[in-house]
Amino acid sequence: MSILANKDTRVVIQGGQAGVNAARRMAEFCYLIKRPLNVEAFVYPPDAGKTNEIPYGSGLIAIPVYKSIADATKTHPSINTSLVYIGADRAMKGGMEALDDSHIKVVSMITEGVPEKDAKVLGAHARKLGKVFNGPSSIGIISAGACRLGVIGGAFDNLVLSKLYREGSFGVITKSGGLSNEIIWICSQFADGITTAIGIGGDAYPGTDYVSYLEMFENDPQTKAVVIVGEMGGDLEERAAEWYGAKQRRVKLIAVVSGFCQESLPKGMKFGHAGAKEGLKGEGSARSKSDALKKSGALVPATFGALGPAIKEIYQALLKSGQVKEPVEPATLPKLPKTVEEAMKADEVMVAPLIRTTISDDRGDEPCYDGYPASELINKGYEIPHVIGLLWDKRLISKQEAEIIKRIMMLSADHGPCVSGAYATILAACAGIGLSQSVAAGMIMIGPRFGGAVTDAGRFFKYAVDNKMSVDEFLAYMKKNHGPVPGIGHRVKSLRNPDKRVKELVGYVKSLKIKTPCLDFALEVEKITSVKKDNLILNVDGTMAAVLVDIGFPVDSLNGFFILSRTIGLIGHWVDQKRQDSRLIRLFDYLVNYAAPKRREVPPLK
Amino acid sequence: MAKVLEGPGMGLMKKWGINVPNYVVVTSVDELTKLGQANEWFKKSKLVVKAHEALGSRFKLGLVKVDLDFKAAEAAAKEMIGRQVGSITVAQVIVSEMIPHKEEYYCAVKSTREGTEILVANCGGIEVESNWERVKRLCLEIGQSPSPESLEKLSKDAGFTGALAKKMAEFSGKMFACFDNEDAQYLEVNPVVLRASDGELVALDAVTLLDGDAKFRHPDWNFAFAAEFGRAYSKQEVDVMAVDSKIKGSVKFIEIPGGDTAMLPAGGGASVYYSDAVVARGGKLANYAEYSGDPPDWAVEVLTEKVCSLPGIKNIIVGGAIANFTDVKKTFGGIINGFRKAKSEGKLKGVKIWVRRGGPREKEGLDAMRALKDEGFDINVFDRNTPLTDIVDKALQAK
Repeated sequence: MSILANKDTRVVIQGGQAGVNAARRMAEFCYLIKRPLNVEAFVYPPDAGKTNEIPYGSGLIAIPVYKSIADATKTHPSINTSLVYIGADRAMKGGMEALDDSHIKVVSMITEGVPEKDAKVLGAHARKLGKVFNGPSSIGIISAGACRLGVIGGAFDNLVLSKLYREGSFGVITKSGGLSNEIIWICSQFADGITTAIGIGGDAYPGTDYVSYLEMFENDPQTKAVVIVGEMGGDLEERAAEWYGAKQRRVKLIAVVSGFCQESLPKGMKFGHAGAKEGLKGEGSARSKSDALKKSGALVPATFGALGPAIKEIYQALLKSGQVKEPVEPATLPKLPKTVEEAMKADEVMVAPLIRTTISDDRGDEPCYDGYPASELINKGYEIPHVIGLLWDKRLISKQEAEIIKRIMMLSADHGPCVSGAYATILAACAGIGLSQSVAAGMIMIGPRFGGAVTDAGRFFKYAVDNKMSVDEFLAYMKKNHGPVPGIGHRVKSLRNPDKRVKELVGYVKSLKIKTPCLDFALEVEKITSVKKDNLILNVDGTMAAVLVDIGFPVDSLNGFFILSRTIGLIGHWVDQKRQDSRLIRLFDYLVNYAAPKRREVPPLK
Repeated sequence: MAKVLEGPGMGLMKKWGINVPNYVVVTSVDELTKLGQANEWFKKSKLVVKAHEALGSRFKLGLVKVDLDFKAAEAAAKEMIGRQVGSITVAQVIVSEMIPHKEEYYCAVKSTREGTEILVANCGGIEVESNWERVKRLCLEIGQSPSPESLEKLSKDAGFTGALAKKMAEFSGKMFACFDNEDAQYLEVNPVVLRASDGELVALDAVTLLDGDAKFRHPDWNFAFAAEFGRAYSKQEVDVMAVDSKIKGSVKFIEIPGGDTAMLPAGGGASVYYSDAVVARGGKLANYAEYSGDPPDWAVEVLTEKVCSLPGIKNIIVGGAIANFTDVKKTFGGIINGFRKAKSEGKLKGVKIWVRRGGPREKEGLDAMRALKDEGFDINVFDRNTPLTDIVDKALQAK
């Protein structure tokens, strides 16, 4: 047996994320005691119509969210308890809504910082209706082996350690949420554990006080003793003492009170919960409460530390008199399934990775590129070309190599609006398409005829150099196996109208006095091809390709240099069109050679 | 509970139709001089000047001056503003008119578990404190308002007669209206005086305690709450309050000068048991502190820095019960960062740290604390198997 919360308790939770977190804890407890989840519904207007997924064991249970208590109890008429997790400014309204629903008998308010006036009105309203209003600021209510309302009891391991999977003989009432678990734990270590533990909240005027709960415990035959954890302030402990001393009670009462430190503190200085305020003439002081409880016949240990032995003493007496029997512990208890992360941490499972990376790691406080923290690279003077080196080729390139890459990027960042890539981006921008899609439209143009010859040019020049081919051998090989040489030839530039970009790059690289076998070979090729036809010159793709192979970049990365550089231009074109608010472009028909068949009659469908 | 200084307190009473003396709150003599030129009453009445700060025993400290003409009031204000009293500087004075009167009465409204009580006595000032039996009360249930008849009966029961009985009934009715509508927890006017000039009841001095939790529905509460213990909040305390107001969960910090045992416990309930244990073992508290409700680690770090900066401390008690949902690993992470920072600033020399805690991720949290030993901290770590306050016993025996 237990009080307030039992196996028939069916719950609606009013509130958002905090309520969902509580439901998770409640599901852990239900799983431990092998009972279905006791949460039937949520009430949270912003999410009405959706469901909250609550893990139960290794599965998920979908709990519906409603707009109002009435909606929830209409669909789930077995609901008899509400937990309120609504913010302090709306808690009063939510609490009233729950109390006024005929299905609901118990309302426990977890919300902290509820105005005193609201709490008093809620408490009075519940009393008038013959219902229980627990809280505000309640950590929750838990009945061992039967029902958990809220996060009271803590993590799953603690539920097991505190033997909350089966009934004991001790009732617990605390103002402090933080101490509730401590007392439950003490009851399980020094005695046979708890029946029900209730957090009544640390506010000045809790909706339900010790006396009401003491009455309930007195009428619960399973509960043999009750532990009260009191605090300075108010007169709830004095009232409990009065109740206990009024006549012979079946339950034993054990109580501790805090706030003795007050006596040696500067005047007026008060600590602890909101309810911890001292009245005039010492009323509500720890001393007066402790004295009243002692006088009533309750067992009042001198310190909190002495509470365990005091509980043990009572338990031993109960055992001796035969009122309780040593509990029988279950042979096995359900274990909460671990998440994959937890199980891996405990070396219990091995997971085959889905992908493998060898270039970067984001798991620390900043990304590391090939092991080097980004901020350290910045602070030590490295620049974007070095990051390219690390991420594309897993090496820290030299200052000289970085300068070459920088120049390549600067030379190929843009080539005006007419080339395929920029034109496609501009078309898309004028059609009102967004930045990433418009840039992607330009990107799609990069291929064998536009910008995409860098990789192939590099590959074939390298093949020739690696195989020590002569230019003639190379040209013959290309003609036989592949066709035109990538990196050679230009649509408009020619020997007489050279490409300044090529000249610039070749001139710079040559001035460095480094070994450039590919570039040298490419220039040799140009000498032969340009004689055949004067626009068969080494173009910018071919020059980039040869130089990048010469400084060691892998062939497969070469197109990347053009893609990366030209992205700068494509973004520029999109922003430029956007800024001008350009209109949709439509091709004029005079720009089209309509070579389709003349208009003719459609034959009958056969 | 939130105490309100006299100025804003009188403002609230005035709002609900209660007569109060003319008053101004000023931060400089210059301001007072200008106000004196603009308002007739400064010249017509004798004046009272008081330090407008959360200070106890202002009379003894010479921070209340009465029966002054305007020139003397200016002189008194000049003397008081900027005066240093303990940790606080007088920044404001309240200047109000003296109300010539013969009779003094008492009226208060307070919150009780059952509802509200209105208290009335036909004596006031210090006389009422020594004749408490003359205070008569009207008990109202939760949600109930007093009827004019019941207030008149209360007033008559307290010994008021004739027209005065009616006036006192009205006065107490206004007090209730102010109490009820302003989410007050305690309102006391002592004395209520009968103004000689027009025979009206005037609230001469007031104690106003409001429910700080109700601030959200009082946009006109544009005043700061005052510390309740006869001194202003220190800079460190204000810093922690600023953090507290920003976060989920809470962090609290109050300094107690002269102590040597610093407190850094978790939980509003456990923190007081820890403080009790220190006092019971003959220790001297250097502060009160508390964190709860799974606060972010940076907030706990700020709190830790304040605790480590307390002068003359020998022990730090990092106590706590078995938490429900506060993540021990995470909150301890904040404490550990705070400790490291303090140590790097040369603090914590010769200070012993005592830890006891349970709750979600307790093992990881406690292990992280234990590891501080290797960094040269004098730290002793205990788990849930050590009773809550035993670390205080160990700390205070370990001298």
